[in-house]
Amino acid sequence: MTTTDETRSIPIVDDLTSEIPPVIDEEFTDESDEVEAFRPSKAGWFARGLVWAVLAWLVFAYPVNFFSPFNVGVSDADTASLAVIFAIVGLSLNVLLGYAGQISLGHQAFVGIGAFTSAYIVTDLKLSFWLAIAIAATFGAVQAAALGAISLRVSGLYFALVTLAYGTFAEEFLFGITALTGGEGGKPAPRPVAFADEYRYYFLCLGFLALVLWLDWRLTRTKAGRGLMALRENPRVASSYGINVKAYIMLAFVVSGLFAGIAGSLLAHHDEVIVGSRFNFQLALIFVLMTVVGGLRDRVGVVIGSVFFALLGSGKLVTMLNLGGFFEGVLGLPTEFVALVVGPILLLLTITKYPGGIGQQVAPIRVWLSGRRFDRHAGAVQEVEVNDVRA
Amino acid sequence: MSVLEIDSVSIHFGGIKALDNVSLRAGEWEIVGIIGPNGAGKTTLFNCITGFYQPTKGKVRYRGKNISKMPVHARTAMGIGRTFQNVGLVKGTTVLQNLVTAQHLQVAYDPWAGILGGPSTFAEERRVDDRARQILELLDLEEVRDARVADLPYGVLKRVEIAAVLATDPDLLLLDEPGSGLGPEEAHKLGDTLLSLRKEFGLTIVMIDHHVPLVTRVSDYMYCLNFGEVLAEGKPDDVRRHPEVVRAYMGEDPDQPDDTMVVQPEEEYV
Amino acid sequence: MILNELGIVLVTGVLQGSVYALVALGIVLVHRASGVFNFAQAEFGTVALFGAYAALTLWGWSYPMSLLFGLLLAVAMGLLTERFVIHPLRDHSRVTLLVGTAGVALAVIGLQFWQFNDTLIMSMPKIHDGFYVTPFGAPVSVQQMITVGVLVVVTVSLALFFRSPSGLAIQAAQQEPTAAELVGISVRQVSMATWAIAALLGGLAGVLSGPNTTFTAGFLTFGAGRALLPGFMAAVLAGMKSMPGAVIGGLVVGVVEQLGSLTVFVELPGARAAMLFVFLLGVLLVRPQGLFVGRAVAA
Repeated sequence: MTTTDETRSIPIVDDLTSEIPPVIDEEFTDESDEVEAFRPSKAGWFARGLVWAVLAWLVFAYPVNFFSPFNVGVSDADTASLAVIFAIVGLSLNVLLGYAGQISLGHQAFVGIGAFTSAYIVTDLKLSFWLAIAIAATFGAVQAAALGAISLRVSGLYFALVTLAYGTFAEEFLFGITALTGGEGGKPAPRPVAFADEYRYYFLCLGFLALVLWLDWRLTRTKAGRGLMALRENPRVASSYGINVKAYIMLAFVVSGLFAGIAGSLLAHHDEVIVGSRFNFQLALIFVLMTVVGGLRDRVGVVIGSVFFALLGSGKLVTMLNLGGFFEGVLGLPTEFVALVVGPILLLLTITKYPGGIGQQVAPIRVWLSGRRFDRHAGAVQEVEVNDVRA
Repeated sequence: MSVLEIDSVSIHFGGIKALDNVSLRAGEWEIVGIIGPNGAGKTTLFNCITGFYQPTKGKVRYRGKNISKMPVHARTAMGIGRTFQNVGLVKGTTVLQNLVTAQHLQVAYDPWAGILGGPSTFAEERRVDDRARQILELLDLEEVRDARVADLPYGVLKRVEIAAVLATDPDLLLLDEPGSGLGPEEAHKLGDTLLSLRKEFGLTIVMIDHHVPLVTRVSDYMYCLNFGEVLAEGKPDDVRRHPEVVRAYMGEDPDQPDDTMVVQPEEEYV
Repeated sequence: MILNELGIVLVTGVLQGSVYALVALGIVLVHRASGVFNFAQAEFGTVALFGAYAALTLWGWSYPMSLLFGLLLAVAMGLLTERFVIHPLRDHSRVTLLVGTAGVALAVIGLQFWQFNDTLIMSMPKIHDGFYVTPFGAPVSVQQMITVGVLVVVTVSLALFFRSPSGLAIQAAQQEPTAAELVGISVRQVSMATWAIAALLGGLAGVLSGPNTTFTAGFLTFGAGRALLPGFMAAVLAGMKSMPGAVIGGLVVGVVEQLGSLTVFVELPGARAAMLFVFLLGVLLVRPQGLFVGRAVAA
C-alpha cells in the first residue's frame, strides 16, 4: 500500500477538449417549446365560460333551489351537504393515501373523533360551534399523529392492519364510552343558529370545503407537498434531497387528521344527533373506495368521486337518474344496496383498467377548462400507485 | 482540516465485512477518485458517508465534525451531495420538479406556512423555480425541462442527476459511477464538466468509477478498494500502475504494466 | 370465581380461535405464494356459507351436498379472484393488490346483499345440535368440537401435502419462480392451486362457524362472525410464513379476544376490540417477525 506525504495541491486544469472532435450528444428534444403557447379562440373562450357558468350554477344555485327551475327540497339540500362533507373526507384520505402513500383502513375513526369532540364541546361544554370545529380539527390531528408515530415503526401492509384494528377499536370501544358519546342514543350536536337552516348549512359546508381545497392546493404547490411526493416514490432520494422523511410523514398524518376532524364536526352537526354506530367498517371501506375511484392525487377527481359515492349511498343518485325502476325491477336490487354492488365493481375497474380513476377521465375537460387545448390523453396514469412497499 | 475524513471505518453485515478499516481523506477543492472491482465496497463506503449505513467501527468526519450518527437529510443540509449508481431521481415527475424539490433545504419558508399559503411563499416559489431553470441552463438541459424523468434516456438522466445534486447546494459532491454507460468520448466530456464544476462551484469531489482513465485524468488523489479494504492510494498514475491494483483487476501478476494494459479495465463494466 | 372465568376464556377462546386459525392458514398460504395480503379471505367463508344456505334452504338439497356446494362455490371464487384480479395485477405494488382483494371482498358482499335482500338475517342448522357445559361453566357445542377436529385434520393434511411432490412444487414456485419454471413447474398453475386451497380453507371457516349464530351479508368480514382481522393477527404471529404458527396464532388470538369478556370489563363495551388492538400493536412493535419465526427478518 503506497502512501504519500507530499502536500496534495490542486493541479492546473489542462484544456484538452480542443484536441478531441466534438461529440454529438444524443439529445432528447421536446418540441413543445417550439410551438407558440396555445390561446383559445373567441368561440373557445365563450364555450369555456359557458361550462364554468353551468358548473357554478350546479354547485351554488341548484342544491339550494336558487335561480332554478327544478324543485330541490330540503332533504336534497341535506344530501348535498353530506356530499360536501364526504368530499372533505376524501381530500383528507387522499393526503394520506395519495400524497404520502400510507394506507388507512380505519379512517372512519378519524372522522368520528372529530364528530364526537365537536358534539361534546357544543352540548356538554356549551361553547360555540366555531371553537368546537377548531378543537375537533385539532383532536383529529393529534389522533392522526399518534397513528403516524406508529406508522414510522410498522411498515406498509402491517400498518394497514393496525388501522383496521384501530377503526374497529374506535367504533366499539372509544365511541362506546357512553359518558362521552351518548351510547346508543347518540350525542346531540346542534347547529350554530346562523346556519341552522338546511340551505345555509350547505353553504357552511361549502365554505369549509373551499378552505380545505385551498390548503390542499397550497400543500401540493409548496415544499411540503413536494417532499411528500418524493418520499412516497423514493425515500432514499428524498432524504438525499434533504427531506426529513419521518417528519414529513408525520406532517401528512397531521394534515389528514385536521381535514378529517373538520369533516367530522360538520358531519355531527349535519346529523344533529351523532351515533357511534355510524362509524363502522363499511364507512371506512366506502372512504377508501371513493378516494381510489376518484383518482389518487387528483383533487378534482377525489371530490367528484366522494360526491358520487355520497349521492349513491344515500340513494339520491338512483332517484335523480330515475334508475330505481331499473335496479329494483329488472335486477332485483333495491336502491339502498345499489352502492354496495356498484362501488366495488368501480373499484376493481379502476384498479385493473382505469388507474387514474374519475380524475383521469375528467382530466381532459379540466385541462380544457383552464384555457388549454383539449387533449384526450391529459392525466394519463399507469397504475394505482399507493407506494412501492415490499413488506 | 480536510473536508471529508473517513477514519478507520468498518462495516459488518452479519458475518460479512463490507468495509474493513478504511481510511480516506479529501481536502478542500480536491478531486479524489475511488476505483476497484465490483463488490469492493465502494458504494457501501458512499452509503456510510451519506448516512444510509452506520459504520460498525470508526468515524466519518465532515469538516472536523463527527457525522457518523447523523441522519441522511441532515448531512445534505451540511453540504454533502450524492449521486446514485442507478440514477437517484424522482421518476414520476418532471426534470424541473426534481430540481425544485432538490432545493428543499433552500426554500426559505416553513412547511406549514406553505400550506397556509402566505404571500411570501408565492414569491419564494418563484425564486426557487427560477434557480432551477438557471441550473438546467448551465448544464445545457433546457430542452428536457418539462419532460417526465421516466421517459428520458439514461445518458440524459445522468446529467439531470448532477443538476439535481447541484441544486442542493453542496460543498462536497459524491459521485457514484457518473461515467457508467458512457463511451470514451462522453466520459472525456464528463471529465471536463467535473473540472469546470469544481472551479465554478468551489466543490470538493469524491468519485467512484470504473473508467480508470477518466478517474486518473481528473483526480488529484486516488484510492483503490478491494474486498472492503484500501488496496492502494496515492497519485493517480502511481495507483493505476501499482501491481496490486492491476492484479485486482486482471487477476494475475502482470509482467510489465503499461498504459494499454491498464486501460483494459474499461471492459470491466457492462 | 376468577379461575372459572379464565377457564371459560381459555375454552371459548380456543373454540373461537379454531375458526381464526382456518382463516389464518389461508392468509399465510396466499402471502407465501403471491406476497399479497388477501382481504377477501374471510369472504371465501361467507360465500361458502351463503351457497350452502341457498342449497339447503332454498333448493332443498341434503346437508352434506349443500356443504359441498358451498365449498365448491368458495373455490370458484378463489379461482376467479386469481384469474381476474391477482394475475393481471401481479406486477403492481403489494398495496394495489391489497386494495384489489378488498374490492373483491366488497363486490362479493354486495352480491350477497343483492341476492338475499328479502331475508336479511339468515340461519343455518348445525351439523349436530348437541352441546356440553364443562365443569367450570364453559359452553362447548358439538359444532365447535367438529370445527376443532376439522382444523386438526386440515393442519395434518397440509403438513403431509407440503411434503409430497405437489407440495414441494408449490414451495419451489413460491420461493424461486424462475427456477421452478425451468424445471417444468407451472408457476401459474401453482398460483391457481394456492388460491383454490386458500379459498377452501376460508370456505370451511364459513360453513363451520355460520350455524353458530344468525348471519347476514359480510358475516365473516365485519358481521357477527368477523374473522378477518383476528385471522390477520394470527398470521402476523406466524410471521406470515409458518403454517403451524398460523394455527397456534389463531388459538392465541381467540383467547386474547375472549379476555375482553371477563366480568372485570363488563362496564366497557368493546373491550374485546380494545384487546385485539392493543395485542396487535404490541406484537408489531415488539416482535414484528412473529412468535414462530427465528431470526428477525427485515420488515
